[in-house]
Amino acid sequence: MFRVYGLLVILLISCGPRGEGDFIVWNTMRPEGRAILDSLLAEFSSAHHGITCSQVYYEPEELRSNYQISVLGGSGPDLVYGPSDQVGPFSVMGLVEPLEEILPEVFLQGFVPEGLVWSHGHLYQVSDQVGNHLHLVYNKALVPIPPEDTDQMIEMAKALTRDEDGDGRNDYYGMAWNFEEPFFFVPFLGGFGGWVMDEHAQPTLDAPATVAAFQFMKDLKFTHKVLPPESDYDTADALFKEGRAAMIINGPWSWASYLQNDIDLGLTLIPKVSATGQWSTPMVSTLGYSLNVNVSGERRRMVTELLMYLTSDAAQLAYARKMRTIPSRSEALKDSVLQQDPLLRISIEQARVGRPMPIEPEMRAIWDAMRPNYQSVLNGSKSPEDAARDAQEAALKMIREMNE
Amino acid sequence: MTREQKIAYSFSFPALAVLALVVVFPFAYNVVLSFSNMSMRHFWDWKLIGGQQYLKVFSERIFYVTLAKTVIWTFVNVFFHVVIGVSLALLLNRPLPGRAIIRTLLVLPWAVPQYITALTWRGMFHYEYGAVNLVLDKLTGLAPVAWLSQPVSAFGACLITNIWLGFPFMMIIALGGLQSIPTELYEAAVVDGANRWQRLRNITLPLLRPVLVPAISLGIIWTFNGFNVIWLVSNGGRPADQVHILVSYVYRAVFNLYRFGYAAALSMVIFGILLLFSIRFIKSTKGTEAVY
Repeated sequence: MFRVYGLLVILLISCGPRGEGDFIVWNTMRPEGRAILDSLLAEFSSAHHGITCSQVYYEPEELRSNYQISVLGGSGPDLVYGPSDQVGPFSVMGLVEPLEEILPEVFLQGFVPEGLVWSHGHLYQVSDQVGNHLHLVYNKALVPIPPEDTDQMIEMAKALTRDEDGDGRNDYYGMAWNFEEPFFFVPFLGGFGGWVMDEHAQPTLDAPATVAAFQFMKDLKFTHKVLPPESDYDTADALFKEGRAAMIINGPWSWASYLQNDIDLGLTLIPKVSATGQWSTPMVSTLGYSLNVNVSGERRRMVTELLMYLTSDAAQLAYARKMRTIPSRSEALKDSVLQQDPLLRISIEQARVGRPMPIEPEMRAIWDAMRPNYQSVLNGSKSPEDAARDAQEAALKMIREMNE
Repeated sequence: MTREQKIAYSFSFPALAVLALVVVFPFAYNVVLSFSNMSMRHFWDWKLIGGQQYLKVFSERIFYVTLAKTVIWTFVNVFFHVVIGVSLALLLNRPLPGRAIIRTLLVLPWAVPQYITALTWRGMFHYEYGAVNLVLDKLTGLAPVAWLSQPVSAFGACLITNIWLGFPFMMIIALGGLQSIPTELYEAAVVDGANRWQRLRNITLPLLRPVLVPAISLGIIWTFNGFNVIWLVSNGGRPADQVHILVSYVYRAVFNLYRFGYAAALSMVIFGILLLFSIRFIKSTKGTEAVY
C-alpha cells in the first residue's frame, strides 16, 4: 500500500509546477495574432538554450478572472497580454509589477508616448501596438463614396436597407454593428460632445450629450429603421461579410477576414455628428504586455528579455505587416511599407481624432452601468433621458461598491 | 485499530485527501472571505469585518428580485424536467419498435457538453439567422421574435434551453425506477380490476418516489446553481442585466466588480438556502424511507 502511495507522490511531483525555463504568455489575441506570437516565441526559445516559451489564449473576460485567481494563488503566467484598460484593476490589486525600474531607459525611449501605459506614476504595460480602435468600414461595391457626416450616413443607409423578398423583414441593411456593447456607441457619444468620465474618474453620463447620443441610436433603429432588430458582434460581422450590410463599425482585427471574404473593402473615419459638427471619437487604446508580480529573481530577468523581444521593432512590424496594426515604437512606425498602406493611413488618422481609453478601474463600473441602459434604449424599454440618468446612478453606485 | 480498519482507512485516505483539498478547503476559505472586506482595493490586505457583507446582501432589493427569478427558474425547469422525463420513461418502459434507438436519441441532449448546447441554442434563438424563428416563420407564418432582446423572452429562451438539457436525466432515473417495479404488482392490480390511471397512481408513482425524490432534490440544487445556461444563452445576463439568477449575479459581483467579500457572503446565503431546502424536502417527502 505504502509503495503505491510512494509512486503516487512521485507522479504528483512530476506533474508539479512548470520548470525554470518554461515561460508562459497569456493573451487575448485573435488567431492571426496568435500565429505570429507562436513564431516569435519559437524564435526566442531557439535563441535561448534551455528556454521554452508557450502561449495560452483566453477570451478577455476569462483572462481577467483567471489571472486574478492564479496570481492570488501564487502562480499565473509570466507575461499577460491584453488591452490597456486591464492595467487599471490589475495595478490597483497589485497583480502586475511596475516596469520602469526593470526595463532599460534607452529601450523605453523608443516608444511613442501612448505606447507605454502608466498608472499612478508607475509603468505597468509595454505595448506592441497602438490603436485597437474603431473605424467605419464599408463595402465599396455598395457604397462608392463613404459618408462624411451622420446625416449622409443615414440617407445612404435608408437607401440601402430593403426587403427584397417582400416577407416583411429586411434582407439588406444600410449598416450594422455590435449594438450590445457600449464600446461601439462611445464614438457617437464623443461626437455629441460627451464622454464617459471626468479627470477624477467619475462618470459623466447624466448629460445632454449622452441623451442626444442615445436618442440618435434610438432614431437609427426605430425612426429611420436602418439597423437589424438584433445585432451582436458576430451578427454584424456575418451580415457585412455576406454583403447584406453595406457599412459596419469595426476595428483593425476584422479587416483581414473581410478581405478574405472578397469584400471590396473601404475604410474611413466614423462620420462627424451632423448636429454638432464634431468628429465621432472612438476610444484609442494599446495592446501590450504586463509582468506577473509573482515572477522574481533570475526568472524575472529572462522574462523581461522576452518582453523586450516581443515588443521590439521587428516583432511589431511582423504584426503590422500581416494585421495592419499601428506599431508603438517610433522606428517601426517609419517603415516605408506601412507608410504607403492606405488602410493604415486611415487608421492613424482615425486614432488622431479619437480619445484615449481610460485605464482607471472605475471604467469597468461605467461600462457595466452603460451596457444595460444602452440596451434598454435600443429595445425600446427606456427613454434616452431615463437611460442616461440611470446609467449615471448605477455607475456611481458600482464605483462606490468597487472601492469599498 | 484492527488491521482491517487500517486497510479500510488507507484505501479511503486518497479520496478524503482530495475531498479536503477541493471541497473542504475552498469552502472554509469562502466562509472566511464572507466575513472580510476583500475587494479590488483590499485584494492582499483584506481583514475580517464581521457580518457586514451579510447585512449588505439582505438589505439590497436586487437580492430579493434575483432570488425570486431564481425560484421561478428552478421551479419551471424542474417541473418540466420531471413531467417530460417521467412521461418519456413511461413510454419507453413498454414494448415499442426501435425503443433502443429512441432511448439513445433522447439521451443525446444530456450527453452533449452543456456549454455547446447552450451556445447552439443561443444561435438558434437569433433573430436573423436562428432556426427557431425560421421554423416559426415556415410553420406558422408568425412574425419573428427578437428572443434575446427582451428580458422576458430572453429568460424564456434560457428556460427552453435548460429544459432541453435536463429532461434526459429525469427520464433515465425514472426508467431505472420503472424497471425495478415488480410486474406481479401490476398483474395483481389487473386481477383486482384496477384501470390504467389507478395503476399509475397507486403503484407506479409511489414506487418511483424513492428514486425520483433524490433525483428531484439533486435537480433543484443543480438548477438553482446552474450557471452555464443562463450565462451563455443570455450572454452574461443580457439584455440590460435582467436575466440573472443568484449564481450569475455572484459571478458578476466577483469578476466584474471585484467584490470578493460580498460575493462570498452571497454564496454562503445560496448554500444556506439550498441546505435548508434539501433537509426540509427530503424530510417532508420521506424520500429516503423504504417503500417495500
